[in-house]
Amino acid sequence: MISMRGYWARRLGGAVCVVAIVLVANFFLFRLMPGDPVSTVLDPRFSPQAKAELEVLYGLDRPLAVQFLIYLERTATFDFGLSFATQRPVLDEILSRLPNTLALLVPAYLLSVLLGTVLGVLAARRRGRAAEKAVLSAGAISFSFPSFFVQMVLLLLFAYVYPVFPLRGSLSIPPPQGTWPLLVDRVWHLALPVGSLVLLGFGGWALTVRNLVVKVMGEDFMVLARAKGIGERRLFWGHAFRAVLPPLVTLFLLSLPGVVSGAVLTETVFSLHGVGRFLLDSVLGQDYPAAGGAFYLLTLITVASNLVADFLVQFTDPRIRTGERSSS
Amino acid sequence: MRRFRWSAWTLLILLFSGFVLPLFLAGDPREPVASPFARPAWVGRNQAPALAFSVPPGEGKAFAWSWDAPRGLSVSGEVEFAGVPGSARLTWEKPSGEILVLADLSGQETATLDLDARDMAFRAALGLSPFDESLEGLFGGRGTIRVRIDSDVPVEKSSLSVRIPGDRWGLFGTDQRGRDVFRLFLAGIRVSLLVGVMAVLVSTVIGLSAGLLGGYVGGVVDALLMRAVDVLLSIPLLPILMVLAALWGKGLWQLVLILGLFSWMGTARTVRSMTLSFREAPYVEALRAIGAPTFYILARHGVPTVLPLLLANIALGVPGVILSEAALAYLGLSDPRVISWGRMLHEAQSFGAFTTGAWWLLLPPGLGIALLCFVFMDLGRALEEWADPRLKGGGGA
Amino acid sequence: MRLSGAIGLFALALSFALPTHGAEVKAETLRGPRIGELYMVVVRDPDAAVLALERGKLDVLGDVTRPSDIRRISKNPAFELSMAQGFHMAQVGFNLRKSPWNAPELRRAAAMAIPRDRLVRELFSGYSAPLTTYLPPMSPYCDKEASAPRFDPEGARALLRKAGWTWDPSGVLVPPKGKSPLPPATILSPTAGVAPTTAELADRIAGSLREIGIPVKAEPLDFAAMIQRIDEHKFDLYLMAWQLSRDPDSLYAFYHSSMDVKGGYNQTGLKDAKVDRLLEDLRYAPDEPAARVAARAAQKALSDRLPIIPVYTRFSVAAVSKGWQGTVSTKSMTADNSWSLLAMSPASGPMKPLYWALGDEPRTLNPFTASTATDWQVLGMVYDTLLTVNPNNLEDLPWLARSWKVETVKDPGGLRTRLTFVLRKDVSWQDGSPFTAKDARATLLFLQKNAIPRYFDSVRDVASVSVPDAHTLIVTMKNVSYWHLHSIGGTPIFPAALLGRVKDWRSWQPARNPVPGKAGLTELYGTGPFVFREVRPGDFVRFSRNERFWLIPR
Repeated sequence: MISMRGYWARRLGGAVCVVAIVLVANFFLFRLMPGDPVSTVLDPRFSPQAKAELEVLYGLDRPLAVQFLIYLERTATFDFGLSFATQRPVLDEILSRLPNTLALLVPAYLLSVLLGTVLGVLAARRRGRAAEKAVLSAGAISFSFPSFFVQMVLLLLFAYVYPVFPLRGSLSIPPPQGTWPLLVDRVWHLALPVGSLVLLGFGGWALTVRNLVVKVMGEDFMVLARAKGIGERRLFWGHAFRAVLPPLVTLFLLSLPGVVSGAVLTETVFSLHGVGRFLLDSVLGQDYPAAGGAFYLLTLITVASNLVADFLVQFTDPRIRTGERSSS
Repeated sequence: MRRFRWSAWTLLILLFSGFVLPLFLAGDPREPVASPFARPAWVGRNQAPALAFSVPPGEGKAFAWSWDAPRGLSVSGEVEFAGVPGSARLTWEKPSGEILVLADLSGQETATLDLDARDMAFRAALGLSPFDESLEGLFGGRGTIRVRIDSDVPVEKSSLSVRIPGDRWGLFGTDQRGRDVFRLFLAGIRVSLLVGVMAVLVSTVIGLSAGLLGGYVGGVVDALLMRAVDVLLSIPLLPILMVLAALWGKGLWQLVLILGLFSWMGTARTVRSMTLSFREAPYVEALRAIGAPTFYILARHGVPTVLPLLLANIALGVPGVILSEAALAYLGLSDPRVISWGRMLHEAQSFGAFTTGAWWLLLPPGLGIALLCFVFMDLGRALEEWADPRLKGGGGA
Repeated sequence: MRLSGAIGLFALALSFALPTHGAEVKAETLRGPRIGELYMVVVRDPDAAVLALERGKLDVLGDVTRPSDIRRISKNPAFELSMAQGFHMAQVGFNLRKSPWNAPELRRAAAMAIPRDRLVRELFSGYSAPLTTYLPPMSPYCDKEASAPRFDPEGARALLRKAGWTWDPSGVLVPPKGKSPLPPATILSPTAGVAPTTAELADRIAGSLREIGIPVKAEPLDFAAMIQRIDEHKFDLYLMAWQLSRDPDSLYAFYHSSMDVKGGYNQTGLKDAKVDRLLEDLRYAPDEPAARVAARAAQKALSDRLPIIPVYTRFSVAAVSKGWQGTVSTKSMTADNSWSLLAMSPASGPMKPLYWALGDEPRTLNPFTASTATDWQVLGMVYDTLLTVNPNNLEDLPWLARSWKVETVKDPGGLRTRLTFVLRKDVSWQDGSPFTAKDARATLLFLQKNAIPRYFDSVRDVASVSVPDAHTLIVTMKNVSYWHLHSIGGTPIFPAALLGRVKDWRSWQPARNPVPGKAGLTELYGTGPFVFREVRPGDFVRFSRNERFWLIPR
């Protein structure tokens, strides 16, 4: 039996380890990529000397080891340097885009989790009925479609053929005056991207929740509880749901990084100015500081949510007190 | 499995269409067969059919036209006159009786022609809009059209031929290059299936080995493997796939490897936790006691224990990989020479199929991907229920 | 004023007229701008752009590339399309550093094997022209006589046979006096991410080269990877497209042997004493006629050596809503240009805001670090240059400078080019202060002192700048070249008052710093026709009319 303190020390050590590995990998991954931002400046009016000046500007003239040390020192203080493309601090670039991405992802994610959980529970409680069948099918279908395909079709249908929603961006041009009209305008612009993400995302959740609940309902302690004559309603909410909550919370936090992929595609289709699109542009444009910074931040968020997940699970599930949970 | 599911049947049909059916179809699916964006034949009754004829000397060739004006037309071949003509023209008589000059052949004893309606010069010479492909100006309604060589010297020999590629084709029409979408669709089955299944196999082999090893051996090996899992799980998938696709190239096998390398973590965790309990089973302890080698125990007894769940994992992993491939292709990060459904969607989108309303280019690959994923999800669920009968529920979809 | 696109008119490669609906520019009598409010709307997705145009959310959409969009818009009576041939050139390059590509007859035969007409038809639906020249046909310096050979596969075979080449039983070429056939080679091309058709084009070209026995396969690569392979000289052939400008100076960068170094653009590795000499003549030509003669001779020599095979040049198409009148377009310039912005007004009714599509996000609005065409579409509204290009004849047009003089002077250091600009007196900065020669001097010196990469080549050779009076600027260069006129005359001029306050040019964010006492004005101000007002990242950039602009009659 490992003490709680030892367990948390080990967990934290592991998290630091992960961050360190990602930090190093980040640096070399981008420098291993063919070409560099200077060599892809294709303009015959740029002489070799002008290009050399550009290398100085980007700090690429220094030895790799020096670049690496500078990188480590800066990253530790969240200074990711200047983006090659914009010559502005990477952190500024990311933070200025973050509100847009959060405004897209937070409602989309919460709504799809909510819808997925409700439908999953519904399916689990209506075993063998049409409702379960319907939820399972809807879940599988929503999970099976390529996201950009669905989003393009929705955009064509609801922004062009039936112009209920706007075609692009996060703001009307010119923007309406006043706080409320502006807020309504924002919501109107986000409706289609968020709606499409919910449509695409709820299925996976519904299936997972249904499976978890079904599994728990068959556990020995549930059978025992049922034998004791506890009512179905109390049985479910008092026992089953409490038992599936910890793994649900874990899953919820663990699937956060995956959501970023959704942001890349969604922001591309709906012309939104967010972190996902920034990441795509930086990777494609070999903007090492920008891509590295964005990657690093995402990793930190993931590692942090892993830790939080562990903590919450410990908190909500008194059965687990040893380190076993940490890696299963 | 109690009964053969519909999804298994569908998969068999897809396998047959992807691997066997193309053997019976002649020609390369990459070759153009009709005009770009030609509609499927069964909806395009008013669209021009494919047509080819030669223009003989004398009266030329007359043909009846009862469709919309086509979007493509080419005239090529040689005309030999009996002498040098002072005036010679290739004329086109519209149904309305108006006569247009397609080409002036005066002054040459032998004239070689290679005209195509896509050439800006051709469109400009006939006063057609440079922006609109439709040859309304040449056809302008229904009736008889006559093409002839009109010269002051007799025509000795003519190998001139007129070709209209046609604006309707086959089951699914054509794409932006005039390629048969049905053929591409069939070719895409193969690639999407191969990528999906191979990548999942790669990830399963890695995940199985890592899980068994970590769970059974424990200690430092386990800690290292699980740290690796943590690291990989902390990296957002799509961005890293984008980087690696740029780093290693975009070939099919690179893609399979990349997708495989980044999707084994779940399997490893599942297998590991199963191995942990398997390790403590009395018969395994007995095996250890009599000195059975670790490899033997794992291969002979470990793998069969986790197999049912592993199969389910494989089936459930395929949709993820197929969708990842499609997303990479959509972002332009896949091999342009390999026809996959993701690639078809990407090309359709980048050549304007959405705005053109060319649904025949979008629905086959889009629904194809969805169907394939759906089939694998259903198979996976069936396997999962087989491995863990408690999950058995309202049955398949 | 800076033109966003490149321009050309003289050499009409086309035997037909491109449709240009807009009027010709009467640069001399131009008055404007009239538009009160201008929104540059960011729409990166081409589908969304076309749909937004049709829904009336955009008035001007430039660079419509997909034939399906062109067709769709052309059917809509609410829009006018204009088409122009710019300075785009797509070419196949050889690695001349290694055998067999150093054999001139092989390159010539390869040039004769490529069916340009058919490629243009089949891959671009006609929205490009086959290219055989070494400068874009629209360039005033393009020599049409100096042309790569046309499609003639039979001729190619005959040429090779005559030079002693043979074919092995499988149809692969065997070099003269050689025993083994040519080894397999590849043609590098960017993947579809860059241009959807390039990879396919490379595949077709490889196919036609195989027809005459050159064993080539296409190898699509990520763009950066491709450039790296070319830089490391690890390639056989490559397919690449360039967007050039009206000046022929690019020839020096592409083909002079001194440019075959790291960061240089002599990718084929051409080393030819005669070409070198002609290109030096071109680069250091003292005046326009000498430059013209040298450019002609250099193109002739190149069409003889064939270091690259020109393949095609792309047309550009732009759409403008008929709700606006006064657009300007020429054979080399579609209607989405800065001249249109000066002349446009609503076709009927009162003045309204104009919505102009930006195909990409402006990366930065710092004129010292801004590098993309999109950045300069925005900055070009604000900043002006001394000279501009007359879109009708591609000649120099007085702009901030009323007149100018190019002289060769001799001093103890040797011969030098001296440029004398006489500046307009009626120009003022958007903050109300007058524009003088001191601003121009401060700009040139600031750019030179800080070695800012974007302007490095333009101001590198400046020896001294003097300002004899408030409206005369004399720039003496370190050496002799006619092109100095275009590099100095084409440099945007910044207000001296601001330059003095820029501490670090890299991190300068003019669009974020308000000018004290001037409501709505930021440090992003110049002498241009529009005043920058605000930027909403991801959505739009807003401008308003510069009421002080010198082309507005008072």
